[in-house]
Amino acid sequence: MSQTIIKDLMPKDELLASGHLACPGCAAPVAMNLVLKALGPQTVVTLPACCWSIIAGPWPQSSLRVPLFHTAFETGGAVASGIKAGLAARGDTETTVIAWAGDGGTFDIGLQALSGAAERNEDIIYFCYDNEAYMNTGIQRSSATPWGAWTTTTPTGEPEATPKKDMVSILAAHGIPYIATASVAYPVDLVEKVKRARTIRGTRFIHILAPCPPGWKTQNDETIDLARQAVQTRVFPLFEVENGRNWRLTVDHADEPVAPYIRRQARFKHLTDEQVERIQADVDDRWERLQRRIDCGT
Amino acid sequence: MKKVMIGNHAVSWGVQRSRVEVISAYPITPQTQIVEELSDMCADGRLPARYIKVESEHSAMAACIGASAAGVRTFTATSAQGLALMHELLHWAAGGRLPIVMADVNRAMAPGWNIWTDQNDSLSQRDTGWIQLYCETNQEVFDTTVQAFRLAEQINLPVMIILDAFFLSHTSEPVDLTDQEIVDEFLPQRVAQYKLDPSDPHAFGALVRPDAYMEMRWQQQEAMRDTLRVMPEVDEAWGALTGRRYGAIEEYRTEDAELLLVTSGTITSTARHVVDARRSSGEKIGLVKIKMFRPFPTALLRSALAGADRVAVLDRNISPGHGGIFAEETRSALYDVPLEDRPTLFGYVLGLGGRDVTPSVIEAIVDRTREAEAPERQDLWVGVEL
Amino acid sequence: MSDITEPGRSGRNIPPIAISRMTTEVNLTGSWKYIRPRYEDRVAPCNANCPVGIDIEGYLYLLGQGRTEEAASLLLEENPMPAVTGRVCHHPCEDGCNRANLDEPVAIHSVERRLGDIALASPPPAAPDPARDEKVAVIGSGPAGLACAYHLARIGYRVTVFEAAPEAGGMLRLGIPEYRLPRAILDRQIDRIAALGIEIRCSTAVGRDLPWSELDTFDAVFAAPGAHVGKDARIDGASDTRMVRPGLEFLKEVNAGGRPVLGDHVVVVGGGNTAMDCARSALRLGSEVTVLYRRTPLEMPAIPQEVKEAKLEGVGFRFLATPTAARAKDGSLVGIECQQMELGPPDESGRRRPVPQEEGRFSMIADCVLTAIGEDCDLEFLPEGVEISGGVAAVDELCESTTARVFVGGDAADLPRSVADALGSGKRAAIGIDHWLRERSGEEVAPPDLAALRFGPGGNLSIARERGIDPLHRASPVNEVAGWDAMNPAHFEQAPRHEDHFHAAGDLTATFGEVNFGLSEREFRDEVDRCMNCGVCNRCELCLIFCPDMAIHRRDDGEGFEIDLRYCKGCGLCAAECPRGAMAMSREES
Repeated sequence: MSQTIIKDLMPKDELLASGHLACPGCAAPVAMNLVLKALGPQTVVTLPACCWSIIAGPWPQSSLRVPLFHTAFETGGAVASGIKAGLAARGDTETTVIAWAGDGGTFDIGLQALSGAAERNEDIIYFCYDNEAYMNTGIQRSSATPWGAWTTTTPTGEPEATPKKDMVSILAAHGIPYIATASVAYPVDLVEKVKRARTIRGTRFIHILAPCPPGWKTQNDETIDLARQAVQTRVFPLFEVENGRNWRLTVDHADEPVAPYIRRQARFKHLTDEQVERIQADVDDRWERLQRRIDCGT
Repeated sequence: MKKVMIGNHAVSWGVQRSRVEVISAYPITPQTQIVEELSDMCADGRLPARYIKVESEHSAMAACIGASAAGVRTFTATSAQGLALMHELLHWAAGGRLPIVMADVNRAMAPGWNIWTDQNDSLSQRDTGWIQLYCETNQEVFDTTVQAFRLAEQINLPVMIILDAFFLSHTSEPVDLTDQEIVDEFLPQRVAQYKLDPSDPHAFGALVRPDAYMEMRWQQQEAMRDTLRVMPEVDEAWGALTGRRYGAIEEYRTEDAELLLVTSGTITSTARHVVDARRSSGEKIGLVKIKMFRPFPTALLRSALAGADRVAVLDRNISPGHGGIFAEETRSALYDVPLEDRPTLFGYVLGLGGRDVTPSVIEAIVDRTREAEAPERQDLWVGVEL
Repeated sequence: MSDITEPGRSGRNIPPIAISRMTTEVNLTGSWKYIRPRYEDRVAPCNANCPVGIDIEGYLYLLGQGRTEEAASLLLEENPMPAVTGRVCHHPCEDGCNRANLDEPVAIHSVERRLGDIALASPPPAAPDPARDEKVAVIGSGPAGLACAYHLARIGYRVTVFEAAPEAGGMLRLGIPEYRLPRAILDRQIDRIAALGIEIRCSTAVGRDLPWSELDTFDAVFAAPGAHVGKDARIDGASDTRMVRPGLEFLKEVNAGGRPVLGDHVVVVGGGNTAMDCARSALRLGSEVTVLYRRTPLEMPAIPQEVKEAKLEGVGFRFLATPTAARAKDGSLVGIECQQMELGPPDESGRRRPVPQEEGRFSMIADCVLTAIGEDCDLEFLPEGVEISGGVAAVDELCESTTARVFVGGDAADLPRSVADALGSGKRAAIGIDHWLRERSGEEVAPPDLAALRFGPGGNLSIARERGIDPLHRASPVNEVAGWDAMNPAHFEQAPRHEDHFHAAGDLTATFGEVNFGLSEREFRDEVDRCMNCGVCNRCELCLIFCPDMAIHRRDDGEGFEIDLRYCKGCGLCAAECPRGAMAMSREES
C-alpha cells in the first residue's frame, strides 16, 4: 500500500470525549485515544498523577468513557495489579486493566511499583506516555529528560547532565512477555501493538513518546511531526520485545541526522554544535546496541 | 471451634472466616505470621483469595485500594515502618471511602531499630481517616477482624485493627473460631456502592475544587460520626451470634470508682489484675478500656469518667512536644464536663519500645495518682532512667 | 451561607466521593483558540495539466472507493473517448503528478485506458431528451468535432457531424496506426458518441461535397477540419520520384488497409508523432527504417514512449541531420543527400535552432523517404469573415471566430496539436456555442465564469464544474494547484509505478495488432492506490486521528468531516498532518 488508509485500520470506538483539558497540540490525548480505540470499552484505566490527571477533567467530569481511577503518583503498577485482582476475584478476567502514567510516574517515582508488578507478571498493560519531564508541575527534569535539555530545574546554565534512562531495557530485564515502543506519529503501528498486547497475558509495557509543545518549546502543530522525526532520527526507535528477548523493529527507520530534530526544539537552543554532535553520538551508540539485540534475537 | 493460637493467626483466621477476596501484603516483623498463615490458607484452599505478593507496604495498600475500588473485600497487614510507608495511601483509602481492613501490629518506630510494641505507629495515622480498633486479647483480635469488615462495608470507611507486638501477636491464647456459617450470616459478600465497572464507567478521584472538597470531607466526617452509632450495633449483632461483645469502650468495675485507669491494648489486662486486687482491698478503683480510638468515643468516655476524682491514662505512645495521645484526647473529652464533676487527669507515658508494663508498674501509678496533689506535668514518664 | 452546624441543602447532590458522572464536554475548549482549521480542497496538478480538463483526481478517488461506475461517469463527463485517450494521449497529467517527487508518477493513462474500456463494455448511453430546439453543425469527426458534438448533444442540442472521409474519426482513424489504436476500440467509442442522437454524415466534405451555404439551416457551426496538408520538406529532386512521400498520406493509406511496398530502406524525416507512426508502420511493412531528425533527442516533439517503442522495435535514429536532395534513378529513389546540423541559438519556439555544420554532408541509401515535419490546415471552405492568422483561425477561448455563428477548433485553431488538446477545444466550443445560442434565444445568461470552470489557474474548463457535479463533495474548493509543497510526504510510502505491458519485440512484419496491453487488474488497482489525491480530502481520517481534542467528526452523510469549533483548540495538527493539503488554518476574528 502506498499510503496509510487509516480509517480502515482504526477501530471505531470513541472513548475519549472533547472538552478535556490538555494544552493545544498535546500528544497525550492523541495517544490515549489510539490506545482506547485499540482496547475497546472493556477497559479500566489506572491513572497515577501526571498531566492526564488534569486532562481527564475535574470532578464531576471525566473525559474517558471507560472507568478511570485516579491514584497516587507512585502507584500505577500496584493499583492496576489490585484492580485486576479485584475484577478477577469476581470472575471478570476479560476486562483489560491498564496503568497510564507519565515519565515521572514511570521512570522515577513509580518505578518500584512498576518493577514489582512486572516481576510478578501482573496481567496489566502499563503505558508510559513520555513527554520527557514533569510537565504538569511546570517542566521540571525527570530521569526521562534527555541530555542537554533545558527544564525549569535544569536551567540553560546547567542543563540536563545525564542521558535519558533506558526504561525499556529495565523492563526487558524483567522478562515480561511484551514490551513495545510506540509513537503517535505511527498510529497504525501503535494500534497494532496495543491490540497485540491485549491478546497477551501478563505484564505488558508500552512506551509512547508524547511531544509537549510548552515543555519542548515547539509549535502546537509540530507535535506529530516531532514524534515522527524522533523515530526517523532513531532518537526513539519503534520496536517490540518479547519475553525480554526477540527484539524486533516494527517500522522502517531512516537514518536522518539528529541535529534538525534538536534544533527545532527551543529547549535545546543553548546547545553548541559540538553538543548536538554528542547527542548524535549517543543516539548512534544506542541504535547500535539496539541492533545488536535485534541481531541476537533473530 | 476453639484453638490455641497466636494473635497473628487470630487475624489470619478472622480474614479467612470473612472470605476476603484479595489480599496484598508485604512482610514485616512482627506481623509477618499473619500473612504467612494467609499464604498457607490461599495455597491450601482454605481461603480462595487472590494474594498479591507486592514489593512494599506502599504497594500493598495501593493494590488493596485498586481491588477495593473494583468492589471486592480486601485485607492487608503491617507494622510500624510499613504503616508509615503507607501513609499517603491511607488517605487515598479513606478519602475514596474504600472499606479496606488492615491489621497493624503495634511496633515502635525507628530509629534505633525496635521491633517491640508501641502505639506510635498507628497513632501517627490518626488523621488519615481510618477507624482504629485496639484489641486486648487474641479472641478479641479474631472477633474484631470479622466485625471490622462489616463495619467498614456498612459505612464505607477503612478499618485498622491494632494489636500489640508479641504480647498478642506472638502469644498463644485459646480462640473460639466462630463457625463459617455464623460468620456468613453476619457478613455477607460485599456489595459495593461504587465500583470500577466497564458497563457503568465513571472516573474516581478526579480533581475536586474548593467548592466541593469540603462537602466531601463533611460526608467523610459524617461517616465517622455514624461509626459511633454503627460500631456498637455491629458489636451487638456479633454478640448476639457469639455471646462476645466489646463496645467502643469497656467500663470495668467503674461503679462508684474514685480513681479510674484508662487503658488500651494489652496493658488493659494487666490493669484489670491491679483493679481486681485493689477492689478486693476496698479501693474504689475501676478501669476504662478504649477500644475504638477513631472515631473517638468522646461521649461514652465523658460519661464513664465524669464523677471520678482522678483519672490515670496509660499511654504506650507519645506525641512529641505534647503528651500521651490517649491522655490528651481524653483530657479534651473531659473539657465539657462541668468543673465540679471533672476528674483530675494524670497522663502517664510508659512501655515505649516494648518496655514491660508489669502489675507493679501499674500499682505504682495507682498509688501515685491517688497521692499526688496534682499532676506535676502534662506527661508523666514512668520508669525513665538516664 | 449555610448554617455552621448543619450543611445547607442547596440540592447540589455532592456525592461522598469524587465520582464523575458526566463528560468533559461541558468545557467548551474552543474558546482557547486563536486560529481555526477548515477543510479547503485544492486542485490536483494532474487535473490542472490535462488539456481535456478531466477530473482525474476525482475519478481516481472514486475508483479507490470502489465506486467504478461513478468514476467512469465522472470521466465521461469531460472526455467522450477515454478508451482512445487512454491509449494515445501524451498524458501531460503525469508530468504534473506530485508522486514523481516521491517515486514515479501515477500511470494515469493506464488507469484511464482500463476505466475507458470498462465504460466501453457497458451498455451505450441513451440519447438525452432534446432539450433545445437549436441545431448545430460540426465539421469534422476528429476528436475536436466529436467532443463538441458529444457535449452539445448531452445538453440537448441536435447535432449533425459532417465528415469528409468515408468513416468517422478524423485523424484518430486516418493518422494513428492500428497497433496504437485498434479500430474496434475507435469504432465502439464513436458508436457510443453517436448513440447520443448525433447524426454523422460521412463522405461529406463541406466546401467540396456540400456548399457552406447548406449549413445556413444550422444555428451554429463548429469547424474542426484538422490539419491534413503535409508540410513540404523541400528536398531537391523529390519530384523526380514518387518515393518521396508525405508521411501523413502514407499513414492514411496504411490505416485504410493499404500495404504499399516501400523497399528495403526507408528514411523518415521528422521527430514528431507522425514521424514515429510512419517509422513503425514502415517497419511493419518489412522495411529497415531510419528516422532523420534535425535536432537532438531532447527536442523531439514525439511522445517519449512512442520514441522508446520505436527504438525497441528496431527503428534507427540519426539526429542533427536533414535531407537536402533525393537521388533518383529511372524514377526510383536510390538515396538521399543529407546535411549534418548543429544547434545554434534558440528560435521563436524556444528550442535551439539547427544550423548546417560546415563540411557535414553525407548520403544515405533510401528506397523511400517519408516526410513528417508537420501539417498545415486547409481552411479554404470557411466563409470569408473568418479571420485566418498564421495558417489557423483566430478564435477566442470558447472557439468563437470572427464570424458570428462560426466556431473553429481542434488543429484548425492555434493549439498544440494533440488528441487531448483537440478534445479540450471541442469541449470549450460546446460551452461557447451553448452560451451563444442561449444568449441569442433571449435567455438571460451570464457569460461563463471561465476562471471558475477551469481546473487551476491554467487548466481546461470542466463541464462537471459547469453543471455543479462533484461526487467528491469537495469542501470550499480553492482553485489553486496543490503542488508538492502542499503535501505531507510522511504519510506516503514508496510504491513503484506499474508500466504497461507491451508486445514482445521481435518480428513485427505485418502485425498491426495492438502492441500495448495496458495493466492487469491488480496493477490497475495498485495505480489507483498510488494516487495521493493531491489537494482533495479523500476521507483518510488522519485529521480525525490526530485531533487531540476529538473535535473532528464524520458527517452523517459520509461525505467528509465537520470540525466542532466548540472544542477545537486551534492547535493546527489536522492541517499540518493532512497528507494532501486539503486543510487550512485562519486566524480567529477578534
